[in-house]
Amino acid sequence: MKISSVTPQEVFRLLVSSPQGLTEDEARRRLEEFGRNEISELEKRPLWKSFLLQFTHFLAIILWMAALLAFLSEYFHPGAGMLTLALAIIGVILINGIFTFVQEYKSEKAIEKLRLLLPFRVRVIRDAKEHEIPAEQIVPGDLILLAEGDLIPADGRIIESNRLTVSNAPLTGESEPVQLSTEPDDHPLLECKNIAFAGSSITSGSGKAMVFATGMRTEVGKIAHLTGSVSDDLTPLQKEIVKTTRFVTFLATLMGIIFFFAGALTGRSFWENFLFAIGIIVANVPEGLLPTVTLSLAMGSQRMAKKKALVRSLNAVESLGSVSVICTDKTGTLTQNKMQVRVLWINGEIVSLSDAIHLPASVNFFRIAALCNNSTFVDGHSQGDPTEIALLQAAHESFSDISAARISEIPFTSERKMMSTLHRLDSGICIFTKGALESVLPCCTHLELNGQTLPLTAELRERILAGYTSLTDQGLRVLALAYRHATQAEISRTEIARESDLILSGLAGLEDPPRPEVPQAIAKCLAAGIKTIMLTGDASRTAVAIAREIGLVHQEPLVIEGQELARMSDEILRDNLRSSEIIFARMTPKHKLRVVTILKEEGERVAVTGDGVNDAPALKKADVGIAMGLTGTDVAKEAADMILLDDNFATIVSAVEEGRAVYENIRKFTTYIFSSNIPEIIPYLVYILFAVPLPLTVIQILAIDLGTDMFPALALGAEKPAGHLMRVPPRRPSERLLDWKVLGRAYLLLGPIEAAAALFAFFIFLSWGGWQWGEMLSSADPLYLQATTACLASIIVSQVANVFACRSYSTSAFRIGFFSNPLLLLGIAVEGLFLIALVYHPWANQWFGTAPLPAAIWWTMIPFAVILLVADEIRKLFSKPQIA
Amino acid sequence: MYKRVLAAVNEHLNSEITARYAMEFARSCGAKLFICFIADKSLPHAALRNAENAVSRLFIQAEEIHVPVESISDSGDPAARIEQIVRRAEIDLAFVSTRRTDMKRRFYAGSVSRRLLLHLPCSVALVRVVHAGMIRPRRILVPLKARIDQVQQRAFFTAQFANAFDARLFLLYASPPAASLFGGHIHLTPIEWQQRLPESIAAFIKTLQQQGAEVEHKVSPGAAGKTIRLEAVAKPHDLILMGASQRSLISSLFQGNPVEEVLRATPCDLILFRPRHEN
Repeated sequence: MKISSVTPQEVFRLLVSSPQGLTEDEARRRLEEFGRNEISELEKRPLWKSFLLQFTHFLAIILWMAALLAFLSEYFHPGAGMLTLALAIIGVILINGIFTFVQEYKSEKAIEKLRLLLPFRVRVIRDAKEHEIPAEQIVPGDLILLAEGDLIPADGRIIESNRLTVSNAPLTGESEPVQLSTEPDDHPLLECKNIAFAGSSITSGSGKAMVFATGMRTEVGKIAHLTGSVSDDLTPLQKEIVKTTRFVTFLATLMGIIFFFAGALTGRSFWENFLFAIGIIVANVPEGLLPTVTLSLAMGSQRMAKKKALVRSLNAVESLGSVSVICTDKTGTLTQNKMQVRVLWINGEIVSLSDAIHLPASVNFFRIAALCNNSTFVDGHSQGDPTEIALLQAAHESFSDISAARISEIPFTSERKMMSTLHRLDSGICIFTKGALESVLPCCTHLELNGQTLPLTAELRERILAGYTSLTDQGLRVLALAYRHATQAEISRTEIARESDLILSGLAGLEDPPRPEVPQAIAKCLAAGIKTIMLTGDASRTAVAIAREIGLVHQEPLVIEGQELARMSDEILRDNLRSSEIIFARMTPKHKLRVVTILKEEGERVAVTGDGVNDAPALKKADVGIAMGLTGTDVAKEAADMILLDDNFATIVSAVEEGRAVYENIRKFTTYIFSSNIPEIIPYLVYILFAVPLPLTVIQILAIDLGTDMFPALALGAEKPAGHLMRVPPRRPSERLLDWKVLGRAYLLLGPIEAAAALFAFFIFLSWGGWQWGEMLSSADPLYLQATTACLASIIVSQVANVFACRSYSTSAFRIGFFSNPLLLLGIAVEGLFLIALVYHPWANQWFGTAPLPAAIWWTMIPFAVILLVADEIRKLFSKPQIA
Repeated sequence: MYKRVLAAVNEHLNSEITARYAMEFARSCGAKLFICFIADKSLPHAALRNAENAVSRLFIQAEEIHVPVESISDSGDPAARIEQIVRRAEIDLAFVSTRRTDMKRRFYAGSVSRRLLLHLPCSVALVRVVHAGMIRPRRILVPLKARIDQVQQRAFFTAQFANAFDARLFLLYASPPAASLFGGHIHLTPIEWQQRLPESIAAFIKTLQQQGAEVEHKVSPGAAGKTIRLEAVAKPHDLILMGASQRSLISSLFQGNPVEEVLRATPCDLILFRPRHEN
């Protein structure tokens, strides 16, 4: 039993209040007890905490420890360059932390927008007197006064109603105002006609309500609670990054420890081994990966914005690519949200609009359509309800001049589902009525047929119903139009009396036509293995007809209506959601969250569209929440990950394609970045195993990972989507970013060739300088500096070839074309400039321990670059086509 | 099991609503209801009058629904006096309301309600009222932990409470998320989660069903406090009925305290139950 089920007297007793309101003392006590009437944010993590978390995860802790050890090493063993290393590691932590923070941080204002639904001040009766107080001081038991234009401050039970009408649109999405009464009502709370909800507005009338829930306990507060608390789960990409960094961290630490002890066994000093272990760790960690991912997502979001999909959270860019289910609204997204009269049932048959003009009965029909209508044409633009605009348009297309003075109107209400107007025509006074057939037909006694007015017999009623069924089967929304001549005396008669003895003129079949690009987009989803589920407030027949028209369903779909869904257990709903073709009809937005939750529990990656305030929790819960840019509320837009600037379903599909391309590109540059880990690690192994000078220093590794590799990697992030991208199913959740194919290609093929190139350049340069095997060189020796520079340069040159190889996993670099991605050429140019600076600029020489190289050494690097490209081309010949 | 039920009333509306819960519970058990008001010496006159009015209203309501009732009004330290009354009248179960102001303190330490919860020599139902418009809860959320003690009494109270309000019970086990070191988060379907249902929860469900309660249950991965709150709002449920926390202050500081988290921001009325005696 709820507060809505009892009488107003009982409400006073239960809330220990009275028609005189609470006393100020009691109100103060209750304010202390129940808290302020305000929408608050429960789960907001302070910004500083989010920032701090980026520096305390698994990988960061390992790097902090490495930096600490390097500092200690510098303290106990100064002069070995450990201070520079420690600072460089801290730099890496900071860069990664800041990039991740920027990537994850999203300014969340949904709750702020919800707060705006509540008024600032409210009139209340306390101590039997009327007061105006701040709305936040309202407490349960307060008697509030409501008048036209007011916003309702808290959930209240209506105690007095003088034609009090409210718009619950922010809460229920229902645009029709609801008239409230004081009568007990046993419906579910949101459907009760005796409850005024916080955030709703009074459209007309006045009344009093007794507050029973304030702040976060109101229905709008519950939306805030859900919106604020539904966790933003890690996106698929974020999960993959976590797994990848854990794997790499483990591998790096393990290798560092193993080779530390291996070095000890070969008789090297503690500090040498320590330096070596740190080097191994730094070489293994792909420091540039996170910044590159972030920048790649940012570029993806820019491309999406050009396609009218405004991405609010960078991570959503990739999440879109992994979506396996799209739950979409119908009106405005799949359809144009522009009603049109398609056919008429007139004179006992279904006729097109153009044919109807020739029928005598159409004169009355279109007169009703034009006059019993509140929409208007102003300067060629129509204003008003879409259904009324469609009727007015049809009437004007058929008969250009229809006008008559309106005497009065019986307005449309959701309960009556009809409206009537009384007009003075040349021929006398007429009543015109339009509405749902089930409401209008009982008011009719005659039917206009073949120019005659016939009494409504059972046979004629059946004929009308057959016409109605035929129209609804086509997915049309059907309105019945009726009229009757009236006398002067009837002007003052009651509403019910006026709407009687009507003559049914005919039925209008209206539709909201699908957007032209939607069928193709649906077909694309189907080919891409993405399931599209329509959730609509419309009736099942309309929903199924539209679904058929756009190719969403091909067989007999499973249709679940809102009320049925409310009674359905999670288990049954779960089973139903496995159906290949399913439509949810007569849905209210509150059902969306449940559908999304169950789909997610089943392991689906879900995108959902929404526009209303109460869509916000579902938008937050989904992997990708998509708000409507044209019709969406601010709350929905703030809760969403992406905003559709044109409200068009086809735009979602384009964004999914872009998302898939982004993931494909991330795999490409992951391969590219991981390839350079091997030539960074191998020199250390050679150093420890063969007692030779260290071919590559830690700082030089960082120059590659955070310097030269970044620009081509970013260019790989801008590769165009491959043609087959939307012809393969969404990637499985079990599919890894760093799978064996990526690792094998990078660590067993591309990386070793680069390592060979690096070592070859290093040793050939040493031998040119007269170095003998086993001879150790000082770190300041010019020959040593040049040799390490040759090693570094050779890796970078190999990476230039590698970037072309990595443009596709299976398609030949020659087939893709070397000039098809101009950004790639730019990236390589920047990489080249960076390399020249590293080798020839004195400042860079000082920072990175490099030295200028003679021209001859460069020629030794070219063959390895060619070998790398050719070797990968051979591998591609034997590999199956796949994403990336 | 419960023949003498006590409802502690004070000047606040929430204590009156708490007493209504106690009244319905007593009616369904066929128990006698003791409406008890202990006036603190510092209580202002207006507040005193409010509390006395509440006692008389409740007394009349109890008589109207034929619940044997006795009212006790006294003065002194509320916690100490109520403890004496519980001992003297051999109370089996006490309903006590907790206040928002108590929630501001960590682990509501030092509050009268906390003292009553810990020290009364009977079972205690600590009630936090946040929604004055919910007269009879129809959907009760019962969060469970992996290890449940005093299964019999907990199940009896839960089933009896549901029976008193003709409500359905929805059991929720908020499990720690499944994860592996390198694999990270592991997604399990609801069926897979059901297979991981702890034995004591299965036993609790069985006992509830033996008591004739209508029960649905689910396992949700996630942080307990947040999962419980979200489940309560999303469905939505009318009441949360959960066991009182047995975590010490120190362990709460380190591990967090789901009960405290729910208490602070419960979206619907909440009852914390602490059973005293097995059977």
